[in-house]
Amino acid sequence: MNRKETVDINILGQVCPACLLVALKEINTHHERLRKGEVEVVVRTDHRDATRTIPSSAEAMGYRVFVKRTENYYEIRITARQ
Amino acid sequence: MKVPDPISLQTENRHLKVLNKRYIQYIREKVNQLLEVMGTQPLKPEELDDETLLEFDPIGIVAGAFQQILEHLRQTNRELELARDELQAIFNATGVGISIIDSDFRIIRCNEKQRQMLVSEPSEDIRGRFCYEVYCYKDSPGLDCPAVETLATGRAVTLREVKKKDKYFQVVTTPLKDHEGRTKGVIEVLIDVTEKKKAEELMLRTEKMVSLGQMSAGIAHELNTPLGSILGYSRLLLKDKNLTEKQIEWLGIIAEQTKRCSRIIKGLLDFARLPEETPVGRCDVNCAINSAVELLKKEALKRKIRIETELNNVPIVRGSQSEIEQVFINILLNALQAIGKDGRVHIRTYNEDQMVVAEFKDTGPGIPESIRHRIFDPFFTTKPVGEGTGLGLSISSGIVNRIGGTIEVVNSPEEGSIFRVRLVADA
Repeated sequence: MNRKETVDINILGQVCPACLLVALKEINTHHERLRKGEVEVVVRTDHRDATRTIPSSAEAMGYRVFVKRTENYYEIRITARQ
Repeated sequence: MKVPDPISLQTENRHLKVLNKRYIQYIREKVNQLLEVMGTQPLKPEELDDETLLEFDPIGIVAGAFQQILEHLRQTNRELELARDELQAIFNATGVGISIIDSDFRIIRCNEKQRQMLVSEPSEDIRGRFCYEVYCYKDSPGLDCPAVETLATGRAVTLREVKKKDKYFQVVTTPLKDHEGRTKGVIEVLIDVTEKKKAEELMLRTEKMVSLGQMSAGIAHELNTPLGSILGYSRLLLKDKNLTEKQIEWLGIIAEQTKRCSRIIKGLLDFARLPEETPVGRCDVNCAINSAVELLKKEALKRKIRIETELNNVPIVRGSQSEIEQVFINILLNALQAIGKDGRVHIRTYNEDQMVVAEFKDTGPGIPESIRHRIFDPFFTTKPVGEGTGLGLSISSGIVNRIGGTIEVVNSPEEGSIFRVRLVADA
């Protein structure tokens, strides 16, 4: 089974709108492989507003988004639609 | 080459700096405008200095995101169009009628089947018209309308049987809800259950016939012996020379009425006869009709009734020639009795699918709807007491059903009744 490549983005300590712009930049960079399901983008942030802005934009762009809360930060996983 | 004047250079430099600041300000405003569209906060100058701003290229980033949003929207539109086309195809291809009706009872749309079943003019544009006008020919929704209940309660309603255009339908209404769960309309599904209902009625009739047949056979068998004795002893008594004229007359009546009882019993036995007792033969329908007409010609003449025949080229059918003749005699005799005097019976034969149809159309008074389902029941008669046994049509129905055929009766749109006997063509 092919394992998906993961692009990790660490934006801990950053606030919006920088968080959103950084996440969008990465999605733009990898969008072709993201759409094909070859890669997934995982954003780590401790800025709560980013858990709203990043998923909202990524979903509008046609991706699936999962938000998970860990002890110290949020993990936003962006993948291709089924 | 001319060396630039330092003062003018300084002036130009200041001018360019002002311009630069204005351009950066413009870019920041546009960036913030785009960020607002994306649902986030504006970018503060202290977060990103001018140089980093240009290097980071937020406008390019948002433009890239917009490009993907557009791509996704286009893809979604294509998928929606495909889904809509598929849904439309299913909507039109389904064997049930479907209408979508709004809360004011106006038809938003309906499928082809619904049109075929209930709309008089196939080309008529019914969108926007009231469903009760188009489907029910009323000027307001009926009290028993399931759509009224669904709109009021928000629940699905099933109306088991409703008659429209001489057909029976089952109607199911399901609520159409908006985002907030409020009922904004009704999806009405119409299922034609006419054939199912006919089959159920036939089954019920057959079951009734079978049990009546069994009972009749039992009674007939029990009565035959005592009736034989009555007839025998009355004939013996008639030979007695000491009888008065009055007594001879009374004995004659006893013997005659006993014979009448025997005829009724024979009819009962014919009705109750089991299928395996009669081998299925072959019958020429046109020939059977001619024989029946020949037999009843005098009776028709006496009643001043004209019998017309329109006998087309039809195949031989399954069934005994004499039994089918008996069926046609019964139907024709019934027609003559129904007309009474002065009228016409039109008999026509034709092919219909794999069946041969013999149609008897009379100019009598027709059969009231309330008794139409009973006319094939044994002993059911509308004739005065003593004139009919009520067995003719039930025996006919038994004969026809036994050989895989059907008898139906409808009232003619003009006048009188139409009996249609459908018989299976012998392959």
